[in-house]
Amino acid sequence: MGEKHNTNPSEILEAGKLNELRNLIIGLDHQELERLQNLIRDPHIFAEEISELLPYSVRKLIEKGELAIDSLQPFIEDAMHKSIQNNPKRLADILFPIMGPAIRKAVSEDLKRMIAAVNANLEAGLSPRSFKWRLQALLSKRSYTEILLANTYIFHVSHVFLIHRETGILLNQEIAAESTDLESDMISGMLTAIRDFVQDSFKSAASGSLDVVQVGDLNILIEQGPHAIIAAIVEGQPPADYRLTLTETVEAVHFNHATDLEKFDGATKVFVHTSKFLKNCLQKEKKEKKSNVPWPLIFILTIILGLIFWLTYLNFDRNKRFNDFVEKLDELPGYHITKTEKRNRNFFVYGLRDFQAGTYDSLLAQSRFDSSRLKLQLEPYISIEPAMVLKRADEIINPPSSVIINYAAGNLFLSGTASEEWVNQAIENAYKIYGVTNLDTSRLNQKTDIPQPDLEWIIPAIEKYTFIFEMNVVSLSAKQQQQFDSLVQAAVHLDDYNNMYNKKMAIYVRSYTSRTGNVDANMRVAVKRAESFASLLKDAGLRDELLEAQVLFTEDVNVSQMLRSVRFEVFEKIE
Amino acid sequence: MLGAFAVGKTSLVQSYVHSIFSERYQTTIGVKIDQKNLCFNDTDVTLMLWDLYGDDDFMKMKPSYLIGSSGYLLVADGTRNDTINVALRLQEMASETTKDAPFILLINKCDLIDSWEVEQETLNKLEQKGWKIMLTSAKDSIMVEEAFSLLTQMMLEKN
Repeated sequence: MGEKHNTNPSEILEAGKLNELRNLIIGLDHQELERLQNLIRDPHIFAEEISELLPYSVRKLIEKGELAIDSLQPFIEDAMHKSIQNNPKRLADILFPIMGPAIRKAVSEDLKRMIAAVNANLEAGLSPRSFKWRLQALLSKRSYTEILLANTYIFHVSHVFLIHRETGILLNQEIAAESTDLESDMISGMLTAIRDFVQDSFKSAASGSLDVVQVGDLNILIEQGPHAIIAAIVEGQPPADYRLTLTETVEAVHFNHATDLEKFDGATKVFVHTSKFLKNCLQKEKKEKKSNVPWPLIFILTIILGLIFWLTYLNFDRNKRFNDFVEKLDELPGYHITKTEKRNRNFFVYGLRDFQAGTYDSLLAQSRFDSSRLKLQLEPYISIEPAMVLKRADEIINPPSSVIINYAAGNLFLSGTASEEWVNQAIENAYKIYGVTNLDTSRLNQKTDIPQPDLEWIIPAIEKYTFIFEMNVVSLSAKQQQQFDSLVQAAVHLDDYNNMYNKKMAIYVRSYTSRTGNVDANMRVAVKRAESFASLLKDAGLRDELLEAQVLFTEDVNVSQMLRSVRFEVFEKIE
Repeated sequence: MLGAFAVGKTSLVQSYVHSIFSERYQTTIGVKIDQKNLCFNDTDVTLMLWDLYGDDDFMKMKPSYLIGSSGYLLVADGTRNDTINVALRLQEMASETTKDAPFILLINKCDLIDSWEVEQETLNKLEQKGWKIMLTSAKDSIMVEEAFSLLTQMMLEKN
């Protein structure tokens, strides 16, 4: 067929002319026309072609205002609703990456708000400033809120008026939540009158206009448009860019209400939609950039924590002192503690106390424990501790100073010299001493065996001892007690020597301290230690004349001496 | 409110309007603005009333205050003939500035009819020109409310 066409010259000519004519009329050649026909006939190709244009067309329609977003909204909402109904997981998957951060942000914002609110309440309630402001409000007859705002904000826009330029009629207004209502209609009129008055009165500045009215801290910023003006009532000094906000608002109002403003006939209802623009102008800025650190909260928490710490420390300290007291009481001869208990803020001590045990008053004073809280329930008993047995022996057999008594495991040892009469009495009465099962008198009156009092052995026997104590406590441990007894025995020999040779030998009871730190305090402690030890020796039966407490500095002695130690030196007293 | 000095403009309105500003504004910037709310034919109407300083040798009325007015009350003193002339002059100015906004001529102080200077013939001539004229007394509250109502009606009709 095609060949047939081509071979017919008249037809070729016709076809050529037809094409030419078509080109002239519709500007399309045959091939182009065929492509378009194919495009329309084939729905797949047509749809593909249209798909490229459709989004662009929709955008254009929206931009022109011929298609409103609002009219698309129901379709989009329906589509989403159906999609969620069909497959909710799909939407959950889509939202998942943003849900976590969103929730975290919301929680953190809420927390921040709560802290800020607590802070603000604390500040408002506690600060002396709030009292000052209340007084200011009372005196100036303004509301406390006004005073608070004026003092808290660098600037604060309380009212924004949109005023018709020609008539001075108030078209719309926005008022900050915390501000009071004004007679806005009349104020708008008066502002317009003032603006006219200024412009008429100072015609030399014809190009200018009234932009600001300032009364004290109050500024009325006026931004003029061709048909309407915006007046913002500002307390304080607004930032420079606030003027730009007003300019943009005037522009926005004119852009959206150009016709309404031009043909204004007194009806103001149509301008209610300008509120969204006017609200942008209700700005405020806090005076002090609040630090993110909630100081008042931290202050309160610190006080609470400090209080808790202090009470805990007090409790700990009280318990420690109680435990120390109980421990030392238990070590005291004639006392045996079986149980301690803390109940109803009182401290109970249960145990046994020998009839002849000494008092614990000095121990209690030393521990600085509140005695009103101490409840001692001590049952009487008879102790067979050596110290208690010796005490009983002292009372029952009453040994002369020349006799030394010792006790160990039921045996009472007597040594030294004594009259036969006393020895017989002692033998007779020894068994009345509770705890004594055997009396050993083998070393009594054995003059040949007992060394004669001689300084050669007495002095080393005294000076060999060193007692080391805690900081400022002079209390003998069990081991020290034995050494102490031996020391006392040696000192008795020194006394015998004095009696025998009419000498005045004595013992320095020396405590050592250092010059480092607080010398006075060191000295006081050392003196107390030396005197305490000397009084222990006196309690053990030594005569006062035999002892002399003395303190030496470790720096002053040749041989190194340990701090908190007590040592002894025998010397001859010179009258 | 337009009129010569001391014709009683302020007295005419002061007991009929809501005012928050002092009369000092009139002598300082030349105007005091008051508000009058009324109900006309079941419609709430708010009139913003610009009470202008009386035109005299010391202070001329500022024409810019008239721009945008929907209507005005022209006030003259019945006991002073020259105040009619001032009113005529002011009306010419106002008519031009307000693009023929409706107005009413109020001849005030009609309670002092014995010392009346304004001749009826003058008023008749003005009425023939189409002027609305009302005789008022601020002192005895004669025809004041009516004047406001009539002006409101005229303004609404013009719109």
